[in-house]
Amino acid sequence: MKNLIIAEVHKLFKQGKTYYAIGAIFLIELIILFSAYSQGQSVLDILLDNLKKSFYFEGNLLNGNLLIYLILNTLWFHLPLILIIIISGSVTSEYKDRTLLSIMLQPISKWKFILSKYIVGILFTLVIVFFLAITSFLFSYGVFGQGDLIVYLDTLNFFEASDALYRIKHAFIFGAISMVFYSIVSITIAIILEETTKTWIAAAFFLIISNILLKVNFNNYFLDNWLYVKLTDTWQYLFYFEIPWGKIYWNTSLLIVYSAVTMIVGIIIFNKKDIA
Amino acid sequence: MIISGQNLSKSYKSIKALDNVSVTCAAGEIVGVVGANGSGKSTLFKILLKVMKPDSGTVTINSKRKKPIGGIIEKPALYEYLNAYGNLKIFASIQGLETNNQFFLDCLTKVGLPIDRKDPVRNFSMGMKQRLGIAIALLNNPECVILDEPFSGLDPIGITSLKNLIIDLAEKEGLAVFISSHILDELNKICHKLNVLKNGKLIHSGTTQELINESTFAFNITAPNIMSSSILKTHKASFKNNQAYVNVGTDKISELIKELHRENIHITSCVPEVNMNKMFEN
Repeated sequence: MKNLIIAEVHKLFKQGKTYYAIGAIFLIELIILFSAYSQGQSVLDILLDNLKKSFYFEGNLLNGNLLIYLILNTLWFHLPLILIIIISGSVTSEYKDRTLLSIMLQPISKWKFILSKYIVGILFTLVIVFFLAITSFLFSYGVFGQGDLIVYLDTLNFFEASDALYRIKHAFIFGAISMVFYSIVSITIAIILEETTKTWIAAAFFLIISNILLKVNFNNYFLDNWLYVKLTDTWQYLFYFEIPWGKIYWNTSLLIVYSAVTMIVGIIIFNKKDIA
Repeated sequence: MIISGQNLSKSYKSIKALDNVSVTCAAGEIVGVVGANGSGKSTLFKILLKVMKPDSGTVTINSKRKKPIGGIIEKPALYEYLNAYGNLKIFASIQGLETNNQFFLDCLTKVGLPIDRKDPVRNFSMGMKQRLGIAIALLNNPECVILDEPFSGLDPIGITSLKNLIIDLAEKEGLAVFISSHILDELNKICHKLNVLKNGKLIHSGTTQELINESTFAFNITAPNIMSSSILKTHKASFKNNQAYVNVGTDKISELIKELHRENIHITSCVPEVNMNKMFEN
């Protein structure tokens, strides 16, 4: 198993597309920072014009914490999309190039092989989110410095700089779990569909539908609390004035269970399939 | 027997890809599988290699090795972005082989690949890829190798070189070799036995010599003075340059050669023409 995991990591980092993905994430960060640098202050001034007449804000609100929060919002769509492309590609490329057949001709078990794909997919996702977190902290604090964080979630919430840092760090941790879920789903879709383009379309469709349904209030306890789409934005709860830790732990636990079930389903399907 | 497939059947939706096929291969033996496209060769090999489950029938491999069987299906599937060394390393590491640099050099040398090529295998010729595919199939010392269409895409030099490698694997290392090809001429030169598949059914099976004899209907005889032969004219042979094309079966060729010798015809070659239609007839 260890050998399979090492081999998967080796393959992942020997492929150019992995570095394109990392480059794309880096570029998105830079674009967000550049946009904020060029237009952010004027946007904030318009938004807070009335509030500034009644309240005193310490420091510059266009600061590193706000920028990291903006970068954190790539967890909605940009980051999972890039992860889906790369991670599902680790399976579909093996089907396309028929290297899967060559692998299966060696004395290794099918379930161990595909489990190693899932494990490396999960590790890669965590590394990418960590990379996003580290670089966003470095760039944002480096260029804009620290300060209080203003976030609009139903209402405007203000957090002191130290509190903001605490919330952002935890948001990255819980956001990483959501990203892992999408990565696992993309591998399972790749196992089922095998073909690259079909997998990308299906996985991107899954992501879009998830984001649309997230905004829908079903007025049904089960759907509003158990449906997976209601669990992938848990990192946002860190920016409510009172952090609902109970809800966060429940959502995260359930999402981990869904991820494990999706992974087990993928392994079973892969085991039953002939390698054509 | 190292490997034996008994009464193998496999269907894809409405198509019967393999219908009650039985094949065997012993140590040191090269067994050919011949058939047109869609005859079931690749399906048979995938089942023997256990990457595909048959609907019915059994595959028995009499080997206690960790990797009893290796193979290539259709064409070698390699990690194109890695070099030959990198490919061998990946396939060796996933099966937990203890390796070092010398091990990989030996693997490359064994199949006649240059050891100084460091570029990705996407730059390799098909012949080199086939050789690397065989090197990967041979990792972990299997007792049987299955090579599906190994000659496709190779030039004549590549074919000769690969044939010699396959013969060496069987004769010197005692491997059981299953091989398929569209090029019957190449198979009949190296195979001890042939199996002919048609529409998923095994329609002929036997020694290569038996099957070739049964399906040979003519010979191409070459000699510098062939035009002066009167016996060939009685056989209504057709002549072109120093060649005569004569319609005789294998049962009569020996007598014909003797008569040509008596006519002082100095034969330089005598090549059987195999009737492919007859070979592929039930």
